Amino acid sequence: MWRSGNRESRVAAEDFMRAVLIVAICSVTLAAQQPAAPTVSSQDLLDGLKDPTKWLTYSGNYSGHRHSPLTQITPENVNQLTAQWTFQTGTLGSFQTTPVVLDAILYVTGYNGNAWAIDARTGRQIWRYRRELPEDLRNCCGTVNRGLGVLGDRLFMATADAHLVALDMRTGGVLYDVQLADYKLGYSATVAPLVVKDKVIVGIAGAEFGIRAFIDAYDVQSGKRAWRFYTTAGPGEPGGNTWPRGDAYLRGGGSIWVTGTYDPQQNLVFYGTGNPGPDYYSNAREGDNLYTASLVALDADTGQLRWHYQFTPHDVHDWDSTQVPVLADITINGQPRKVVMFANRNGFFYTIDRVTGKVIVAKPFVETTWAKEIGSDGRPLLLPGHLPDEEGTKTCPDLGGGTNFMSPSYDPTAGLFFVTARETCATYFGFDQKFKPGEQFEAGGTQRPRDQKNFGALRAIDPVTATMKWEFRYPSVSAAGVLTTASGLVFAGDGDGNVMAFDSRTGKNLWHYNLGYPMRSTAGTTYMLDGRQYLLVPSGSALTAFALPQR
Amino acid sequence: MCRRPMVWLAALWLVNSALVLAQVQDPATKNPAASNPHLGKPESIRSGMMLYRVRCADCHGLDASGYRGPDLMAALAGGATDERIFQTIRKGVPGTEMPPTTAPDDDLLQIIAYLRKLGSVAAPDTPIGNVENGARLFASQCTACHRVGSRGGRIGPDLSRIGVSRSRAALVREVRTPSEWIPPAFEAVTLVTKQGERIRGIKKNEDAFSIQIMDKSERIQGYLKANLQEVVYEKASWMPAFGTDRLSDNDLVDLVGYLSTLRGSDVAVR
Repeated sequence: MWRSGNRESRVAAEDFMRAVLIVAICSVTLAAQQPAAPTVSSQDLLDGLKDPTKWLTYSGNYSGHRHSPLTQITPENVNQLTAQWTFQTGTLGSFQTTPVVLDAILYVTGYNGNAWAIDARTGRQIWRYRRELPEDLRNCCGTVNRGLGVLGDRLFMATADAHLVALDMRTGGVLYDVQLADYKLGYSATVAPLVVKDKVIVGIAGAEFGIRAFIDAYDVQSGKRAWRFYTTAGPGEPGGNTWPRGDAYLRGGGSIWVTGTYDPQQNLVFYGTGNPGPDYYSNAREGDNLYTASLVALDADTGQLRWHYQFTPHDVHDWDSTQVPVLADITINGQPRKVVMFANRNGFFYTIDRVTGKVIVAKPFVETTWAKEIGSDGRPLLLPGHLPDEEGTKTCPDLGGGTNFMSPSYDPTAGLFFVTARETCATYFGFDQKFKPGEQFEAGGTQRPRDQKNFGALRAIDPVTATMKWEFRYPSVSAAGVLTTASGLVFAGDGDGNVMAFDSRTGKNLWHYNLGYPMRSTAGTTYMLDGRQYLLVPSGSALTAFALPQR
Repeated sequence: MCRRPMVWLAALWLVNSALVLAQVQDPATKNPAASNPHLGKPESIRSGMMLYRVRCADCHGLDASGYRGPDLMAALAGGATDERIFQTIRKGVPGTEMPPTTAPDDDLLQIIAYLRKLGSVAAPDTPIGNVENGARLFASQCTACHRVGSRGGRIGPDLSRIGVSRSRAALVREVRTPSEWIPPAFEAVTLVTKQGERIRGIKKNEDAFSIQIMDKSERIQGYLKANLQEVVYEKASWMPAFGTDRLSDNDLVDLVGYLSTLRGSDVAVR
């Protein structure tokens, strides 16, 4: 029509052209103003929390510190923290997740195979992914999930039915879905994947079902497996002679429940490994049972074992060593040392040389009755009478341990390691049990002694001496993790549903808020958004964001 | 007389479990105890014994003759079927400390095989003692603190279903030596306020920052620890020990006989 020679038509055509041109120019301008959706690079992951608007890896940085450089919330103003919004999952089951934070969006996993993208400003859902979990799924400790890994525009999630899925960050759509192991045999996965360079690293759990656990690396793009490290050594392999002859190692456990850490200088990933299976019956698996209840240092490119240290040789108390290995460079006796710090479920705190794997110092951080001390060769000096039997033997700590899957935190400025400690004891029973694939295989159990009064505490430990600097006690035990900030704050959770803030140097309690359900695994994360520092706390089926009041 | 409520309860469990099963499983799922492959097998019985020690003995006693929880040998002698026992272990007993479990069927079946092997004692004569006298004693000595149905005090545990949740031996022990084991939510505390006022009560809950109690006038109230000078945790129960000077052996038999008949309607937990 605008090609017509008619004057009115020509005028109309010129107007139309002008309009098209204006729209086109505006569109170009808009596109130029609108930033592209950000993606995550390997350098971003190496940078940790340098950009405080982001939280991209499980422990905040590769070293496992859970320590934020943010200083807007201080010991002086923390008591003014106010809830900004609450997100409710609308499902049963509790959060154990550490959210990924990127570009004002939270990427969060929950119970029963759920994941969400949530507007960090308002708590409003943007998308939801729900994995169809099989009905005959059985795992020891609930279909919990500890969080997502991220690289490029992809999220990575390990699932309760032992798969690794890659999700589109913008839609929650599945990009690929890889089976790690057969859930019907008791395998499951709860860890937040750890992305290192072009690989996504996950571990498998399920040792209560007589499995052989492993740590796997997959190619980020294709989902193809790059390497596998079995946490129980087979015949002919190094460590294979620490198992009885036969196939005990095939159901020897060694679960990976918690995400590891990464040392780029050595190109090593560090993972704590779970207890040997069956849990309690010593005779079923004579020997040290490598590499269970250990710390393993693996080449990030090949999965080759560089070194290992076994915290609890031949564990019979269900003391998984799947706590977060925390890396730091500290000065000991005037010497700069590259160390890995580890508060273990067996009740001891260790500072270990992370180049050699040799223990520098190790001391109990809770009451421990099973070992006198850690000898100069790194082996615990056992005290008699602590093998579980049919009549029951009393040992401290209980099966939940001195600490557990909850994340610790390290404040490099204060030089202190913070951990949620459990003061507990149990009567342990052990007995022979026949193994059936897919069935629970613990060969024992525990009872709480009648007069036992358990309690919990937040403890600050000096890694140079492995001694406690201060503690704050809770009336009941807690499974909440710890978060620290550069302003000198420690955030923690008790077993009664409180999120709390403490002065990191003195342990003085500065703030608490009753969330209504105890936090598990984390004590929240913190990030900057629109010039305000947020504290984001998952507890029960709710995610609550706190900030200081706007002036 | 005391059987009927049990039958009714058993029926309720069955209906309840049928409903639950219908929601999650094939409604035609049989009670696995109907054909228990572990009965009489020495290896299974051994496993059952160990599972029992770990999971059941704390309340029911190492010999299953009851500690805090009921005497299982007497229950077997009283005609409890394996299916009934299976359902009770699986679903727990509402209004008591007996929890439900998600343990594999096989574990439950092995425990049942062990209990059957333990054998059974003669069914107790029901009820033991003079129940009428027991009821009179209860009304005069116990109702200030304990409630049965809609009558009685609230300082001590509600006893409307105590006959279901306690063995006779446990009742005797708890009357004679109540401080030996104090149930959670009935521990005595004294709160000392900043002004020096002392408030005695029964602790209902507590965290690092607050404590919730019921005081002597049955007022339930929470207190901030920041407003208190001190919280004194008392070792002894508020319940007085009823020694033979206060309650003769004969009267104790009557009282326990009466308590054993209390198998009434659901009560609030804690």
